[in-house]
Amino acid sequence: MPLARLFNRRLTIGLGLAAMLSLPLAACQGEDGKRDDAPADAGVVNLYTARHYDSDLQVYEAFTEATGIRVRRIEMPASEMIERLRAEGDASPADVIVIADAGAMGRAAEAGLLQPAASDDLVSRVPQNFRDPQNRWFGFTRRARVVAYDSAKVRPEEIDTYEELASPRFRGKLCVRNSDNPYNISLLSALIEHWGPERATEWARGVVANMARPPQGGDTDQIRAVGAGQCEVAITNSYYFLRMAGSENAADREIMQGVRLGFPSLDGRGSHNNVSAAGLAANAPNRANAIRFMEFLTEAQAQGVFAEVTNEFPTAEGAAVPERMRDYAARPVDPLPMSAYGPRQAEAQRIFEAVGWR
Amino acid sequence: MSLPLRARSDRRGPSPLAWAALLAALVAIAPLAAAVMTALQPGAHSLTAPTFLRYAGASAALAAMVAVGATVLGAAAGVLVGLHRFPGRGLMAWLLAAPLAAPTFVLAYGYADLFDVAGPIQSSLRGALGVSPDLNVRSLWGAGLILSLAFYPYVYLTVRAALAHQSASTLEAARTLGATRAQTLRRIILPLLRPALAAGAALAVMETLADYGAVSFLGVQTLTTGVVRAWSVFGSTAEAARLALPLVGAAAVLLWIERRSRQGRVSDAARAKATPLALEPLGGWRGLAALVFCVGLIGLGLALPLGWLAHQGLSVEPDTAALVRAGRNVLILAVLGGALTLGLATALALGGRRTPFLTRLAGLGYATPGAVMAVGLLAPAGFLWRGVEGAAQGLGAGVLLLVLAYASRLTAAALEPIGAGLERVTPAMAHAARSLGESETGAALRVELPMARGALLTAALLVFIDILKELPATVMLRPFGFDTLAVIADRYAKDERLAQAAWPSLLIVLIAAPVVIWLNRQVSRTARGVTQ
Repeated sequence: MPLARLFNRRLTIGLGLAAMLSLPLAACQGEDGKRDDAPADAGVVNLYTARHYDSDLQVYEAFTEATGIRVRRIEMPASEMIERLRAEGDASPADVIVIADAGAMGRAAEAGLLQPAASDDLVSRVPQNFRDPQNRWFGFTRRARVVAYDSAKVRPEEIDTYEELASPRFRGKLCVRNSDNPYNISLLSALIEHWGPERATEWARGVVANMARPPQGGDTDQIRAVGAGQCEVAITNSYYFLRMAGSENAADREIMQGVRLGFPSLDGRGSHNNVSAAGLAANAPNRANAIRFMEFLTEAQAQGVFAEVTNEFPTAEGAAVPERMRDYAARPVDPLPMSAYGPRQAEAQRIFEAVGWR
Repeated sequence: MSLPLRARSDRRGPSPLAWAALLAALVAIAPLAAAVMTALQPGAHSLTAPTFLRYAGASAALAAMVAVGATVLGAAAGVLVGLHRFPGRGLMAWLLAAPLAAPTFVLAYGYADLFDVAGPIQSSLRGALGVSPDLNVRSLWGAGLILSLAFYPYVYLTVRAALAHQSASTLEAARTLGATRAQTLRRIILPLLRPALAAGAALAVMETLADYGAVSFLGVQTLTTGVVRAWSVFGSTAEAARLALPLVGAAAVLLWIERRSRQGRVSDAARAKATPLALEPLGGWRGLAALVFCVGLIGLGLALPLGWLAHQGLSVEPDTAALVRAGRNVLILAVLGGALTLGLATALALGGRRTPFLTRLAGLGYATPGAVMAVGLLAPAGFLWRGVEGAAQGLGAGVLLLVLAYASRLTAAALEPIGAGLERVTPAMAHAARSLGESETGAALRVELPMARGALLTAALLVFIDILKELPATVMLRPFGFDTLAVIADRYAKDERLAQAAWPSLLIVLIAAPVVIWLNRQVSRTARGVTQ
């Protein structure tokens, strides 16, 4: 055939290569080689997750070891996940949905992508403010959105409320990431819920006036900027601070020398927190496995891995906390139910736009 | 002279080629059509006019900066290598295209970390001077600079190709009429290169407008990041698609510019005699300066950011098993996607010749931001997921969907070189085949395609590289447990672990670099008068 002659050797090599590549593909069933060594094949659980931490891989392995249920997963950002679930509709293979922000989780629930999970274990283990009132999702790790500060220039009592971050005391001395970030949006959502939109807008305006530089980078970059002296205070999630403070990288430890973590309080009730939450997908084909998986996330073993590896605080009542983060985990938490964040997201984003918080 | 052909095919109805072209066009246009339909849906207008103008302004400013930056750098490199002889020229000639092997987000990782306020450069300056100068690349200027360095190879390559098609006699005539070297450059060479510069700049600007990975990492808010923001924060796909419409419009204009300039170039090529241009020797400090310029360009465009990433990567233990799996996955996707895209683009190029509008429409997908294409792809994907039992579960269906997604996004990228290759086959050759009894399809398969096989290979490899670097569609449509290198890099970067992100990033470049260099050599071989 002339067409074949035209590509002659190149085509043959190409096809051969493609065949060689697809052989292992067919054999491995697309998952992490977990097909033969599971104790007994108890089916699968299909997981869509927006988390991207190594701790989670360890937890999946432990889950398979304990139950024989294989974990098949796709990682993608929350917004993409929500759209994909919508497009898949009834045909969706998703059993469990994991999102690292209570606000976005609320949006998924609102879009009808979740269903209530009937599990007494989950309900009794996870405190009420860390889960959906209809039990469609449960927070399984907690992080505080607090302040890294330069201990040479800032006294802890200067940052013991969120209001102080917007005060003229820190004009040109504050670092924070941009307003696309879900953690910032949920923080402002909580402030709107507590203070009303006017006062929340004033606060956001004050923070913008205090910015040492246009918002850029992630939380780690804000902490580094405090260490490098570009700003005196930075808004950050607690686990980034803990990770850098315990880093094996000499440059990181050096930059962290004078940096401390402070816990501002909302109206004297505690710091703003957020959760990573797991929800039961509306059309979960493996419903029992899904609930078993969600329960496993809140059991002692998984809670320990999340704390050890990702420096997140446990949400389950009575879960052990590693020594090095015990003080931080014990700080009071704003008791506002986190299901309140979702409905305020768009309003928060409009306020960010209005005050020029990029 | 094409009258008899047309009469014959009209009598028999559309040829198989025309049907194939129609199918290819459908695949290429479907996501864009879906995105436009999404945009037309009524939805809450959460976007204020000043915000829209801010996004559009940033996009325009960035496009202007890259248009100037990439054109100046690429033209200088192209003219130096294409017309002069200097120490190290041979090596430089093929290394200068190498930055195309690196995804822009990888360059952004490297530069952002190097120039961070707590990074090595500012820290050591602070140590030495006591103050740190404001060298922040996480800014509009920084993004403009990084994207110029990333995209100058487009201009470099079009300039090299254009110079290869010029006859030496024009330059000789100028010199015999007493023009100095500077006058020849200004009055003869630059005007001759204008179409090539326009084409290269159009490609660079198109890539800039569609870029998401680098600009979002650098914190520059453009229309593309606005698209994602509208989507992820306001949950409004309609708003996202609306934001993308100006980008699609800009893409249409840029494609038109590119096409017009290519038409000019082809007619030159047809007339040119195979008298290769004589290389002007650059001696002494001039030669050295030329070498330093080229080394500097390659260093800033690739070696410096990648070297720093590699240095960071060495401080952590890579997850080798995951990297190998992701490498295998992306190779499978790139080979399958390259083959399918090549097939569709070839069908479109051959069968769509009488319907140029169809071909042009299919070209728009390339410059549409990946996130918007992903929104558009979800609608057709949804049909497959809901309509075919087990399609949403299976690995095979997932891979097929991804490969189709790549084809619809990249058909335009393959169309350009294929179109150029087929234009070199004169109509007389096809006519000769037809008069010897070949059908239209037969003439295409047995005469035109074999003659354009160099162009076909080039097209397939271009698509191969783009799939290696692709992120938004892969993230959204991939099946269970099927990560690619770009997906892993992005995940680590999101977790703010740059050292871990370095490994998959470097692997992408290592796989793409030999392909890019081979493609570049095709250009220089043409320059020496070897056509295929």
